[in-house]
Amino acid sequence: MAPTTTDRKRKAVTRDTPEISDVESDAEFGDGLLEGILSQSEDSDDGSDQDSEEDEDEEDDELGEINALDSDGIPSDGPENEAEETNGGLNKSNGTTANPLRQLASPSTLEDDDKPNYTITTDANGGERYVYEEIDPVYDSDDSDAPATTNTIGNIPLTFYDSYPHIGYDINGKKIMRPAKGEALDALLDSIDVPRGWTGLTDPATGKPLNLSQDELEILRRIQTNELPEEGYDPYPATIEYFTGIEEIMPLSAAPEPKRRFLPSKHEAKRIMKIVRAIREGRILPYKPPQEQEEEEEAIHYDIWQDEQSRPDNIMNIPAPKMAPPGYDLSYNPPPEYLPTKAEKQAWESADPEDREKEYLPTGHDSLRKVPGYEMFIKERFERSLDLYLAPRVRKNRLNIDPASLLPKLPRPEELKPFPTVCSTVFRGHEGRVRSLAIDPLGIWLATGGDDGTVRVWELLTGRQIWSAKIGDDEAVNVVRWRPGKDALILSAAAGEDIYLLVPPVTDPETEVTSRDLLDAGFSYATNATQALTANGARKEPVAKWSRPGSRLEDEGVLIKITVRTTVKVISWHRRGDFFSTVSPTAQKSAVAIHTLSKHLTQIPFRRLPGIPQTVQFHPSRPLFFVATQRTIRSYDLQKQELVKIIQPGARWISSFDIHPGGDNLIVGSYDRRLLWHDLDLSTRPYKTMRFHSKAIRAVKYHKGGFPLFADASDDGSLQIFHGKVVSDMMENATIVPVKVLKGHKVKSALGVMDVDWHPREPWLVSAGADGTCRLWM
Amino acid sequence: MGKIKKKGVSGQAKNFITRTQAVRKLQISLPDFRKLCIWKGIYPREPRNKKKASKSSTASTTFYYTKDIQYLLHEPLLQKFREQKALEKKISKALGRGDAHDAQRLERNASRPEKTGKTKYTLDHVIRERYPTFIDALRDLDDCLSMLFLFANLPSTPTVPAKMIARCERLCLEFEHYLIVSNSLRKSFLSIKGIYYQATIQGQDILWLVPYKFNQRITGDVDFRIMGTFVEFYQTLLGFVNFRLYTSIGLVYPPKFDKSRDDQGAELGAFSLEGNGVGAIEQPKQITNGDSAKPDPKLQAEIDKLMSQLNEPEKEPPTSQTLGENEEDEEEQPTDTIDKFEPAAPGGDILLQPSYSATDPSTLFSNFTFFLSRETPRQPLEFILRAFGCKRIGWDAVLGEGAYTHNELDPAITHQVVDRPPIQVVNDDDMDEDNQTAQKLKAGTRVPGRIYIQPQWVWDSVNDEELKRPDLYAPGAQLPPHLSPFVKKVRGQYDPSAPLNEQEREDEELEADSDMDEEEDVSEEDNMAVQKPKLLIGDEVDATAEGMDVAGSEEDDSSANEDADSFGGFSDAEEEEDEATSTALQRQRELEAELTGVALEEKEIDPRAKAKADARKKAAKRAKEEDEELERAKMMMSRKKRKIMEKMVYSNKKKDAEAELLRVKRRKIEKSGKAAPRD
Repeated sequence: MAPTTTDRKRKAVTRDTPEISDVESDAEFGDGLLEGILSQSEDSDDGSDQDSEEDEDEEDDELGEINALDSDGIPSDGPENEAEETNGGLNKSNGTTANPLRQLASPSTLEDDDKPNYTITTDANGGERYVYEEIDPVYDSDDSDAPATTNTIGNIPLTFYDSYPHIGYDINGKKIMRPAKGEALDALLDSIDVPRGWTGLTDPATGKPLNLSQDELEILRRIQTNELPEEGYDPYPATIEYFTGIEEIMPLSAAPEPKRRFLPSKHEAKRIMKIVRAIREGRILPYKPPQEQEEEEEAIHYDIWQDEQSRPDNIMNIPAPKMAPPGYDLSYNPPPEYLPTKAEKQAWESADPEDREKEYLPTGHDSLRKVPGYEMFIKERFERSLDLYLAPRVRKNRLNIDPASLLPKLPRPEELKPFPTVCSTVFRGHEGRVRSLAIDPLGIWLATGGDDGTVRVWELLTGRQIWSAKIGDDEAVNVVRWRPGKDALILSAAAGEDIYLLVPPVTDPETEVTSRDLLDAGFSYATNATQALTANGARKEPVAKWSRPGSRLEDEGVLIKITVRTTVKVISWHRRGDFFSTVSPTAQKSAVAIHTLSKHLTQIPFRRLPGIPQTVQFHPSRPLFFVATQRTIRSYDLQKQELVKIIQPGARWISSFDIHPGGDNLIVGSYDRRLLWHDLDLSTRPYKTMRFHSKAIRAVKYHKGGFPLFADASDDGSLQIFHGKVVSDMMENATIVPVKVLKGHKVKSALGVMDVDWHPREPWLVSAGADGTCRLWM
Repeated sequence: MGKIKKKGVSGQAKNFITRTQAVRKLQISLPDFRKLCIWKGIYPREPRNKKKASKSSTASTTFYYTKDIQYLLHEPLLQKFREQKALEKKISKALGRGDAHDAQRLERNASRPEKTGKTKYTLDHVIRERYPTFIDALRDLDDCLSMLFLFANLPSTPTVPAKMIARCERLCLEFEHYLIVSNSLRKSFLSIKGIYYQATIQGQDILWLVPYKFNQRITGDVDFRIMGTFVEFYQTLLGFVNFRLYTSIGLVYPPKFDKSRDDQGAELGAFSLEGNGVGAIEQPKQITNGDSAKPDPKLQAEIDKLMSQLNEPEKEPPTSQTLGENEEDEEEQPTDTIDKFEPAAPGGDILLQPSYSATDPSTLFSNFTFFLSRETPRQPLEFILRAFGCKRIGWDAVLGEGAYTHNELDPAITHQVVDRPPIQVVNDDDMDEDNQTAQKLKAGTRVPGRIYIQPQWVWDSVNDEELKRPDLYAPGAQLPPHLSPFVKKVRGQYDPSAPLNEQEREDEELEADSDMDEEEDVSEEDNMAVQKPKLLIGDEVDATAEGMDVAGSEEDDSSANEDADSFGGFSDAEEEEDEATSTALQRQRELEAELTGVALEEKEIDPRAKAKADARKKAAKRAKEEDEELERAKMMMSRKKRKIMEKMVYSNKKKDAEAELLRVKRRKIEKSGKAAPRD
């Protein structure tokens, strides 16, 4: 709180104080004590109280002013003066000596009060110490509001003191002086100001003027006018019925109506007696027998299909199948062939009822009267009903076709002809197995090579041995192959690490000369080639050595011997007859070698191969070279020197393969008994897999002379001939039809047929067997 | 990329629900569910992929189509079931309280169909739903009739109330009446199980089975509640079907039912049919003397016999003449009917032709008066005879009410159905004389002038739509085999009615012979058979036929004589014996002749045997080649196709083997039968 403002206010209040005191409480006019209390309270009052008081003051000022104006015509300068006057007047009217004193003293008491209620002493440390006065904890000790009981005379009429100047004693035993009663002054005051509620009466209890409030006046007025003294009092309010005449649903008591309250109805008693009499006389039946009502009422029938509408068949609706109609064997007198024999009867009886094909046994009766009842009738009917509602139904499409129509349409064997069917010639002479054979390009001679180290040439049709040469001293002849081309007759054979080129002296001399010339032509190139090698300074061992085999063999017709590093197993000629390739599976790097006949040159095309090479082939028309490893066949472009395709037959160990003369198909034989047909345009996977052999397949061969045939040779001693027609139409697959199994070779030490070859023109087949024979099949 | 499909929310997983799920969804008990399924015709399905439908649960369950179950949800019967269930609960509660009176009152409300045969509900709407058209209902009538006819013949038990049986019987008889009136019965077959009937109504073939009149053996594993549920449905169905059928031919349904006659065993006769304004059906007229109106059946029979005898050399079927002159007239006229195409050479496909029967089923027996002996089954005979036009059927009084006559000696009787063995009457001429004078009808006696036949004659005549030769069916005669008329002839299957050599494979006989040769020592008779079995068979048939005819003619002659003289006792026994002895003699003679013949032919055997061996060799070679061919073709098939083919071949082979077995048996029987043929 800002001190300035309080000060100011205080000033104002102090100035207004007398005014307030007289205006506010008219009843206290005579009471001087009130002044001090008022001033005291003013001091302690806070601002808000003061504000309100100020407001009231102003009101009262105006009121006073109005009163003054009304009551007497004393001119006044302004409200303030007026107020001062009244103030002064009041003070005069109070007229007590003590009052001014008090008024004077009051500031001092105020000051006393302001005096601190403590003493300053020095404490033990010598510092200031405030010692506060004891507070007397009496009731009202701090009560400033409690009205001071002024008169202590008790409850006696004040008239007792009429003769005394005082009217009683205060609490301290001092006389309370009778307030001033100047008639003139009072009259003046009254003329000046009639306070509100002034009655002009004196309260007999206090002796003070009796003032009545507005409310009390109003009550008086109402009493006078014979109205009810209290406002808003309704002397005739509407009745509130706490207990009504309406009966509630839930009775207060659940006790049933006592029977003593029952009054029998005479009318009912009459009617009852009437019925009783009727029952006694039998005119009324007391109850209906229950059967009667159930008896009748037949089911009502009507035309339920009067407005029938067919419903379209739903696919999910499966009507129950009808029972099968009875057959002949169900007859009571069936044809005798339907009656079971004794054995059948026994079998039926001994079988478990569930295992029986029919649940009844056909029985014959020679007349109808002998037919017994059928024991299983109810059972069967019951099972049928179970089927009707319990058996899952499913739509099954029965194939009602002739199974023969499912068979593929194969050309008849007659249409597939010709193919070899019988063995016409057997070539005997080899000791031990015949490992390889070949028919010369003209189709006249058959060359064979076997375990005995000899190469033999036979006349194909007669089976006569024409020529023989022993080239491997202690090694078997692994392979013999003719050089393609009809101009010369050159045979190549491999025994051990040596490859021999022979010109068997079986043809006319001119051919023989050209053949020898062909072989010899390369010697000059060969020397150059070796020189070139030395010039390179490599000085390494040549991969193959081309040489003359020695005079003994030369006389027999063996003209060139090529020595490579390891055993040669396969020889394969290029179609022109200038190149041939050999495979020696055991050699790592130089396993595949390509030899050039005209240059006596041997090249190793592959530095490294992904597996052990098994066999090689030249493509019949394009510059492609096929190498078969154990699992895959790779084709290389010889010109571009790159890998073209990897064919994966899926066999474990490829034994041999052959390329169709058309060049787009090849067959692969494997040691795991599979024969696989590959369409090179189609896929790298086999088009057909045939597994008709029980043992490994050693050799496969296409017919190269125009017949759509191919054959395989197996260790189970059989040859299988297939018809494999390749059409030029790209959209049509090859048709492969097995046509013939040729059996004749004996299996020796788990080896059957070692090699096969086709005649270049005829549908003839030659096969080399492990039993030391060769056979011509035609 | 498409949205990833959630598993189990569409397709098969949604389309099928298990039975447990279905019951839960419907909130009913399993027996109620069963009832609903039976009535509504809802059956489990086999989902195409069981794993998907069962949401990969492996337990084996039955699956229902979800839409079927949804359809059941709206079933009014479901509400009835629930009400019934609530009522049952109330009753059991009342009983639990010991409030017997209340329980009784509630009990009166409960429907107890197993006791009363009456239900609170009707199945009419179910019938209408299941069979939207009348044809649909007819199509499904097989099981209905079989079941109701069975229940009509059951004894009443606590599970099968007598009322239910009575109702079944009534419905069945009403249905039979319709068949009789409309002549819709087509075929019938006496089997060891019972009697099969086939009727054709509005183009629908209905086949049902009626048990023989015996007490049915009831085994413990038969649940009559299930059967009862079916019966309940079938009764409603047949009621409506009957109504429709009756009204379609202008009759009032239900027909009047005479309870007192039924109690006396009148069966079919207990009903009287009335026309509903269109016109009443004709009742069998009582003829006192039919001779004037109709050709005398006895005389007719004689003429027929004579005719047949005359026609014998021309090998005409003699039975076709038995119907009378009017039919002969018809035969002469050019007809505009469809000609029957018979395959000239084997191997062609069989083309179906609309069956055109020359005889109207309503006239087959219309001219005859039948009398049923007391040992014959009256009900089926009466029904079948009536259904094929017979108006007058008499039977022994033992067999019940409703007969045209109970008097066996009624002169109007033309045919008597007998099923008892001929009793050998003491062969005494005096006795014969006595019999002629005295009143007869002792065992083994015959009334002259009527045809005595065994019951099978009726059935065979009906199935072949022509009257069979009665002599083949005479009492005591060895009956010809009774063949099922329902078997459709399929090429390659065995047909007992066709001669053996027509249906066997070309080389089958050869093979069979070779088997025989191997297993049997070569006897003279066998050699004979090997040489020309077909010829012999033919001869044999002819010979027996001749023999029979001869015997028949003798009988006819004698009976004609008797006719001319007077009615009197006449014993056939002697003649039959004569007949037997004569045939035996004949056989003896034949055997002797054969013996001598063999001696002559024995030398000629060698070249024939050689030819036969050649043929056999050739056949073997051909078979081998065919096998090779087949093997080659099979080699080129994919494995899947090969499997299918092997399955088909297997089933075909099984059928072939069955047929072959029958042929072998028949061949054997025919061969041995040559030595001892059946009479």
